[in-house]
Amino acid sequence: MMRNKRLFILMIGLILVIATLGFTSGRTGLSWPERFVNDAFGAVQGALYRPVGAVSEFFRDLGRLSDVYEENEQLRQTVARYTQDKIRYNMIENENKRLQEDLNFTKRQKQLYDYQYLIAQVVAGGSNPYDKTIKINLGAHDGIKPRMAVTTVDGLVGLVSKVSEFTSTVTPITELDPTDSDQISISATVLGREDQAFGIVDFDKENNMLQMSKIDESATIEEGDLIITSGLGNVLPKGLIIGTVVTSQVGDFGLTHTATIKPSAKFDHLTEVFVVVAPDVDTP
Amino acid sequence: MKMLMNRTILLTILLLIVQTSLIPWLVPDAWSDRLLPNLPFVITVYVALFAGRHRGFLFGLGFGLLEDVLFYGHLMGAYGFGMALIGYMIGLVSDRRPRTLADTAVATVIGSGILNSIIYFVYKMFQLTDLTYGFAAYWQIVPTLLLELMITLLIYVPVRRWLMKNAPAAGDENAA
Repeated sequence: MMRNKRLFILMIGLILVIATLGFTSGRTGLSWPERFVNDAFGAVQGALYRPVGAVSEFFRDLGRLSDVYEENEQLRQTVARYTQDKIRYNMIENENKRLQEDLNFTKRQKQLYDYQYLIAQVVAGGSNPYDKTIKINLGAHDGIKPRMAVTTVDGLVGLVSKVSEFTSTVTPITELDPTDSDQISISATVLGREDQAFGIVDFDKENNMLQMSKIDESATIEEGDLIITSGLGNVLPKGLIIGTVVTSQVGDFGLTHTATIKPSAKFDHLTEVFVVVAPDVDTP
Repeated sequence: MKMLMNRTILLTILLLIVQTSLIPWLVPDAWSDRLLPNLPFVITVYVALFAGRHRGFLFGLGFGLLEDVLFYGHLMGAYGFGMALIGYMIGLVSDRRPRTLADTAVATVIGSGILNSIIYFVYKMFQLTDLTYGFAAYWQIVPTLLLELMITLLIYVPVRRWLMKNAPAAGDENAA
């Protein structure tokens, strides 16, 4: 009798759990208790994560002290190139603006690529191996919405998935699931050949590399090419760095090409990230 | 032997914050998705062993659901289910048995292996991971299990000293 009761309770528990799993999968909103728990923990987590991160970074920097000279040299060259590019950029931007005026661009069209970057601090990381998440200290209060892109200075990190009042959860691009029906696919292109090569990027967990698939046969993709978001589909903003091509080969059915991409951004030991706020094109 | 529950719950909340905000910095880059210790789980093992199966169940359920909320990416409920089940099972199996350091270690190893396997199969069932079980075991389950075993052994003496009270109750068969 006792054993039967236990089995009965276990079965009911199992049913409840499967119901919860099904109900919570693919949901973007959060109920108020979840938002409350996230915000309450977020406040304390932030107070711990940042100082510890600062100390840890300090020791890491001490370890790389010898590289600083070389790095400085490189940065100087980059700055020189940057100043030249800036002059060119200003010229082109002015001309672009003039042409937009001449061609009667609407206000919406003009502001389409006018992205705003909000700085956010990472406050915690999840420890579920199949559901890695990062928590940042910006929330609905600061205008964060689900599906906004999150980057570091190196490149694209992920997408905002759940938003609480003062914190939000970021799903790294390594966790975006290509088989999920309502999931976002990252459309990508090659820097410098934006009008030729397109592909869809997803993550290959066993090799720890990103994979760009469905590239047209005629498109040339070479080792070392920089892959950026194409902005097609209007989910992700245009021109965010994803990674560099390591190898390129013929895809599964021989009709398309597949490229293996090394992600530019690091996904752990993050401290500061940017949330990319695209101008709201949906609301007039 | 009696567990001081208020103190234990408070400590576990602190450990959960440490787990999410401090441990990511201590684990080296290359191991960051292999070593993912679950500190509330380690305490759940202690609660199940020393405070009985019902408390073990409730403790596991509560902290499991809390972790689910905090790590919510695709699904919610895997940790709540796994930790409640294991809390109950460890309490059930260890009922009326002496609880030594070795028992605690064995309970952590088996429990951690089962918990991470449950989580793996939940994500596999919902097709959110396409790793094979062998790879998941080699890549994450075994390293995490060993780290959790180490943590369990490290905190054994402090837990016995600070979280338990020697109550000379008549019904308590364990003299330790």
